[in-house]
Amino acid sequence: MSAQDPREALGDAPRVRPIGRPHWRGLWTIYRFGAVRLSRIVLETIVGPILSALLFLAVFAIALADTQGFGGEVSFLQFLVPGIAAFAMIQASYEMAAFPVVYDKLEGTLADQIMSPLMEWEIALGYALVGATAGLIVGAGVLAVAWAFVPLAFANPWMVVAVAPLAALAFAFLGTVTGLWAQKWDQLSVVDTFLMLPLAFLSGAFFALDRVPAVGETLIRLNPVTYAIDAVRYAVSGWHATEPWLALAVVAALTVGAASLSLRLFSIGWKIKA
Amino acid sequence: MSRAMAFEKISSTPPRPRPIGRVNWLGLWTLYRKEVMRFVNVFTQTLAAPVVTALLFFAIFNLALGRAAPAWEGVTYEEFLAPGLIMMTLVQNAFANTSSSILISKVQGNIVDVLMPPLAPWELTVGFAMGGVSRGLVVALAVLLGLLPFAPIEIHSPLIAVYFAFMASLMLSLLGMIGGIWAEKFDHIAAVTNFVITPLSFLSGTFYSLERLPENWHIAAHVNPFFYMIDGLRYGFTGYSDGDVLVGALLVLLVNVALFAWAHRMMATGYKLKA
Repeated sequence: MSAQDPREALGDAPRVRPIGRPHWRGLWTIYRFGAVRLSRIVLETIVGPILSALLFLAVFAIALADTQGFGGEVSFLQFLVPGIAAFAMIQASYEMAAFPVVYDKLEGTLADQIMSPLMEWEIALGYALVGATAGLIVGAGVLAVAWAFVPLAFANPWMVVAVAPLAALAFAFLGTVTGLWAQKWDQLSVVDTFLMLPLAFLSGAFFALDRVPAVGETLIRLNPVTYAIDAVRYAVSGWHATEPWLALAVVAALTVGAASLSLRLFSIGWKIKA
Repeated sequence: MSRAMAFEKISSTPPRPRPIGRVNWLGLWTLYRKEVMRFVNVFTQTLAAPVVTALLFFAIFNLALGRAAPAWEGVTYEEFLAPGLIMMTLVQNAFANTSSSILISKVQGNIVDVLMPPLAPWELTVGFAMGGVSRGLVVALAVLLGLLPFAPIEIHSPLIAVYFAFMASLMLSLLGMIGGIWAEKFDHIAAVTNFVITPLSFLSGTFYSLERLPENWHIAAHVNPFFYMIDGLRYGFTGYSDGDVLVGALLVLLVNVALFAWAHRMMATGYKLKA
């Protein structure tokens, strides 16, 4: 070995890699870890949700098709497809963020991530990005398959680009919060059953708001899922029940709110650190 | 009496083997109780979640239909939908109970604790199946009670309703056992649930009368036991049926006899259970 070899000068000691904020390589690593994990059970994480959304679509189409009218602008199926795609996206984003958090907490592997030179908020971001990715794939999959049977206009394509990632992230961040809160699977299932499922079903996903009695309509208009679904529907079909800008603003506000809550809770180590 | 004498008395009467008659009632009861306690322990996932889901389906279909609700031969859509949802929930839960119980035991390795005791293959089959039947019927009853405030439910012929509810939960419990024994990992059973059980429970007339389907689908429907189970339960509730209730009653009975024989054979030979 020559004297000019820098390794000799440093005595072969590994050097400290300077880490900026955000820690891009670490973030990429946990994102890849989460994504690879979900892709190994792709049947449960992606194919299953797409299939069950398509089943909803089939059942609604057969049971209700001739009872619905939308003033000739869009057909019932054109109304329904983006609603169900958004519904599936929201559910998948939420679950694919919440399940991994609970799993890692129960298995104790969340500690491994906290020990790494990643800030806690970067870990939260990693979980949320994985959930949002899964949700976007599920939503896109539903749209793609349905497109083979139902002509979709994609009336406002920029709106899809704006609202779908925001909505997916919002519900993924909410998933990380409930995942953090739940001490066991049962508790996660309580939130799922009594909060997320009713919010997702009793939104504008499956029916037009003007069909609902006045009290119900007010309640549904208080449900943030309604706005996410309406914005996606506006983007895909052009049909909308709320002002598109208002819907986009509500979704954006929800994303910011859910993200700050999640990043904050991870940062203070809520339910993670003793 | 000295301690030594007492000790001698104990040691001179070793525990005697419990005589087991033709049927190991205690063992069967123990297995059944274990199967029931398993789902009762996590009732938010096994009872509350299915009931809430069924109620939500009921709500969105009624909201979407609004006042345009169609009626078939004097049966309103609400009356039509309620038994369909009860059967859909029952079917999914009976299958989930036995398939998950057996598969989890296999994966965790504690299936030996069920196979070692002096239980005959038919006793194992009955014990597991009755656990699934209980879950199916309990969930069905819970959905029925949950729907009562919202749907005008009258039971036309209770015996027929009970017959189809029992037969359907038995059929899906047996299918769940067969699936759980066959599956080697959770992916396998998820595939069966996602691609077979859920689609069949959705598309076999839960939400609509088969008259709404194109003509060439009718034949497919009439060899589908799921259709007869939903139709039979609906007849029991409303007195309205798409198909022949007697044919359905016989078909589900035959299918159950065949499935029981199949599940029993798997237990007896130890297929994928014993090395």
